[in-house]
Amino acid sequence: MSYLSLDHVTKRFKRETVLDGVSLDVAEGETVAIFGPSGGGKTVLLRLIAGVLDPDEGDIRIDGRSVIGEPPEARKLGMAFQNFALYPHLTAFDNIASPLRALRQSEAEVRQGVERVAELLQIGHVLTHLPKALSNGQKQRTSLARSLVRGPRLLLLDDPLRNVDAKLRYEMRIELPRLLKQMDATVLYVTQDYKEAMALGDRIAVLDDSSFIQIDTPAAIYREPASTKVARLLGDPTINLRRVRPAASTHGVSVDLFGQSLPLHVKPAGAADLVVGIRPEHIKISLTATEQGLPVELDAVTPLNVRSVLLLRTKDGGELLASCSEAEAARLPRGHGKVWLDLSPDDLLLFDAETGERLSGATP
Amino acid sequence: MSALTLDHVTKVYKVRREPEVRAVDAVDMTVEDGEIVGLLGSSGCGKTSTLRMIAGFEDVTSGEIRAGERRLNELLPAARNIAMAFEGYALYPPLKIRDNIAFGLLRDRRPRAEVDTKVQEIAALLEIEDILERYPPTLSGGQQQRTSLARALARNADVHLLDEPMSQLEPQLRAILRARIKDFLIEHKLTTIFVTHDQTEALALADRIAVMNDGRLQQYGTGDDLKDRPANLYVASFIGEPPMNIFDTLARRGEAVHRLAVRTKDGDTEIALDLPRDRITDAVGGDLQNGRKLALGIRPHQVRLGSFPDLGPVLKGKITSNQWLGDQTHIGIESAGRLVIAVFDGNVAAPIDSQVEITLPLAKLHLFDGDSDRALHHGLTTEGTAA
Amino acid sequence: MQRETTRSRIVKGVLLALVGLFFLFPIFWVFLMSFQTNQDILRMPPSLVFTPTLDNYVALISGRLETNAGTLEIKFMGNLLNSFILAASSVILSLILAIPAAYAFARYKFRLGEDIAFTILSFRFAPPLLVLVPLLSYFQMIGLVNTYIGLIWVYQLITLPLILWITRGYFEDISEDIEHAHRIDGHGWLKTFLKIAVPLALPGIAAAALLAFIFAWNNFVFALILASADKQPVTVGALAFVTASGIQYGQIAAALILSIIPTLIFAIAAQRYLVEGLSLGAVKG
Repeated sequence: MSYLSLDHVTKRFKRETVLDGVSLDVAEGETVAIFGPSGGGKTVLLRLIAGVLDPDEGDIRIDGRSVIGEPPEARKLGMAFQNFALYPHLTAFDNIASPLRALRQSEAEVRQGVERVAELLQIGHVLTHLPKALSNGQKQRTSLARSLVRGPRLLLLDDPLRNVDAKLRYEMRIELPRLLKQMDATVLYVTQDYKEAMALGDRIAVLDDSSFIQIDTPAAIYREPASTKVARLLGDPTINLRRVRPAASTHGVSVDLFGQSLPLHVKPAGAADLVVGIRPEHIKISLTATEQGLPVELDAVTPLNVRSVLLLRTKDGGELLASCSEAEAARLPRGHGKVWLDLSPDDLLLFDAETGERLSGATP
Repeated sequence: MSALTLDHVTKVYKVRREPEVRAVDAVDMTVEDGEIVGLLGSSGCGKTSTLRMIAGFEDVTSGEIRAGERRLNELLPAARNIAMAFEGYALYPPLKIRDNIAFGLLRDRRPRAEVDTKVQEIAALLEIEDILERYPPTLSGGQQQRTSLARALARNADVHLLDEPMSQLEPQLRAILRARIKDFLIEHKLTTIFVTHDQTEALALADRIAVMNDGRLQQYGTGDDLKDRPANLYVASFIGEPPMNIFDTLARRGEAVHRLAVRTKDGDTEIALDLPRDRITDAVGGDLQNGRKLALGIRPHQVRLGSFPDLGPVLKGKITSNQWLGDQTHIGIESAGRLVIAVFDGNVAAPIDSQVEITLPLAKLHLFDGDSDRALHHGLTTEGTAA
Repeated sequence: MQRETTRSRIVKGVLLALVGLFFLFPIFWVFLMSFQTNQDILRMPPSLVFTPTLDNYVALISGRLETNAGTLEIKFMGNLLNSFILAASSVILSLILAIPAAYAFARYKFRLGEDIAFTILSFRFAPPLLVLVPLLSYFQMIGLVNTYIGLIWVYQLITLPLILWITRGYFEDISEDIEHAHRIDGHGWLKTFLKIAVPLALPGIAAAALLAFIFAWNNFVFALILASADKQPVTVGALAFVTASGIQYGQIAAALILSIIPTLIFAIAAQRYLVEGLSLGAVKG
């Protein structure tokens, strides 16, 4: 039984449809990452669940009960905002205490509750500060503490790590899943960063152009993206997409890719054009000619965290991004050079060129 | 001869009745012809002040900036032959994107045909061909930033200065644009200095990176230098996503084995990292004076999962997080009272809460002085060094 | 750019002094006049040398004005009190009415919302005299002429639009997320309005109240027509100094100085809120 259900929820602002009949079921204790590019309606979705906006159509149920028409204060959930939304005229303590005060708890209970959650988030030493005296990281933790203090069963996190620096964001990315499991809450986590979505979500719901285009586990979404759109959203560097025309060959059907003929695992219906997707990490590079290897021009090597990104130029003038480990990249030249790439048919994702949808049965 | 030399360059801001601020403190660096240099640091580290002094928007309090042998300190910005892309884009709103890019070239009195070709080339590189006829206010932040970059790259100046050149780029374009820009800069031998707070950007583009903190230059070197041979603990804990794992330890000299005692969080128990004397270099052994405070560092992707006593000390721990990001896996291990981060290529199966052993290969360990924070050794074995 | 030479500092000082002199000279001159007799004031050419006298102030406070033509009764202190009652009550009433209204205009988009807000602002456009003539006859009918209530009611034309429009802007500047967060915490809308919106808009409210007070204080024409002697504010009361035997410049000056004092005190008291500003550390989205 799902704890939170969105049932064909639609929201319009004036003429513009921000959410178009979206449905989602979140199990109790589950963390679902709502992931997508900016302007996709993620933030509006959270505000509908929180009750500060009302849907035009559809139903929202929390714990089996429809909450349409209920004001936000009756929904008893926790929410953390991207811009922290701290009360500037109140100390960190009073900010965090606000949900407890709404329950009319005694001052002693409030103190105890605030101190417990402040310790958990390591902000016990700044409780007397006003928000303006807090660093961005401390503001972020204060805002998180406020959303957690009441031990809500449903937690809405609206891109809470957006405004903190990279190092802190990384630390929180490691720390948050454990904290959320500890709170035993059902969580919706909105983010624009696919790494956060993959790291934090039990499932990811990809929201683009006002509807969910795929809802699945991180592994399934990364390995079996529903469409080229989803495939482009996950992965850094971005997946390589190339339009090809399938042709009959001795092995069945094959495609001509950068002058190399590759057999396909699936038989596409008809001879319609396909889009081939190749994840950069699946391209193997060697410095010497190999039997199957395809000679390409190496244009640039750009390190990316613990890996390196290679910009390759194929014979037909196309660009291709590959990634490899630092150790492998260390052997490559700074400027232009010739390298050979190996592609395995197993690593190809195939999409319909017209609809962009993935052809099933061909997963790496 | 270097394209640009900063010689003890200092910038002091003095507001009456307030203590003076040393925004930039005796920075020495050289930029070679055609080199791409990144100024990296968090906000307020002095990187932007440095860039603005090079551009001529700020007076130099003391020290000298030279282009070749020519002293720049007193020259007006326009006389320095410098191209700049501003963080706030600073596009000319009444001009089309095409004319914004062409502006600097036409001012340099290049023929119209050459300018058009150049604009077309740059626009293709930065994927702004389809917006050349539009006006800046109608564009997204990412498009404006690409235009501003295009304007700076189109010119052939002595030095190209880029202030946070890629902070607003669309994530899907970032990797390919970085690669193309790097290719373009190298191919046209454009001397470039860019400012960024994003180390990924710095590491991706720069030949050498100047890491700044509190107005001081912490280290100036290649990306590999910063990652494999950080000069001090600041650089070690700043560079890398995730950055280096650091253990605060106390040295204990022994007969066959030198020991680094890691104090756990509660402060009571100690966990020993044993360094066999016959495996470490004499220089390292000499620095392990009894009772000396030392910090031990290891980069996340050098941590080995499993017990390999031949490689280096082995620690027991518990997996607290396992995050697969598609092409790599980040694992958090609670060990020695702290969180150790390990990164692996591909997907690694390691269930949360399971007990594991991790090995810290001696060849990949970094040793820092616990008091001065300065690096002492990179790689502790006789066989090789950290990489 | 940062370096400041001694010369530029002197030039800056001189320029500032000139501007200051330009704006403050009239007040300074009136201040001097208030300690002079009419003879000293009317002397040609004017001079800064005179024997100061407190007669003007004594006359105002005692309410007895000695002129060449005899002794006149003036109710200046009563006028001052009237001014205070009228301005303060008008502002307080306007605050009570305008703050919730401004909040509603800022937060809720409802049908005709903009039109209503604009209509309220347009009260400020109409020449007061145009309204006053018909208003006088109505007020006579319902017995509101020469009452505090009637005047305070009419003063709303001055104070209400001002407070409404200024505080509305301040409410709009508060991030909606902050109020939403408070609602989600479990507080009702009224509590959110009182505990979050009003405290955060306080600098704006203080500024608006101060301005409204000054405008109400300085109003002349409403009171001239709708009030008789016992309800008159200082602005109208000062007409009494235009006597049959000439204009009493000394007393006018003294009356001016006395009537500046309440506004001045109010301005200084509100200053803390005026400078504090809104940006108490919230991150702008």
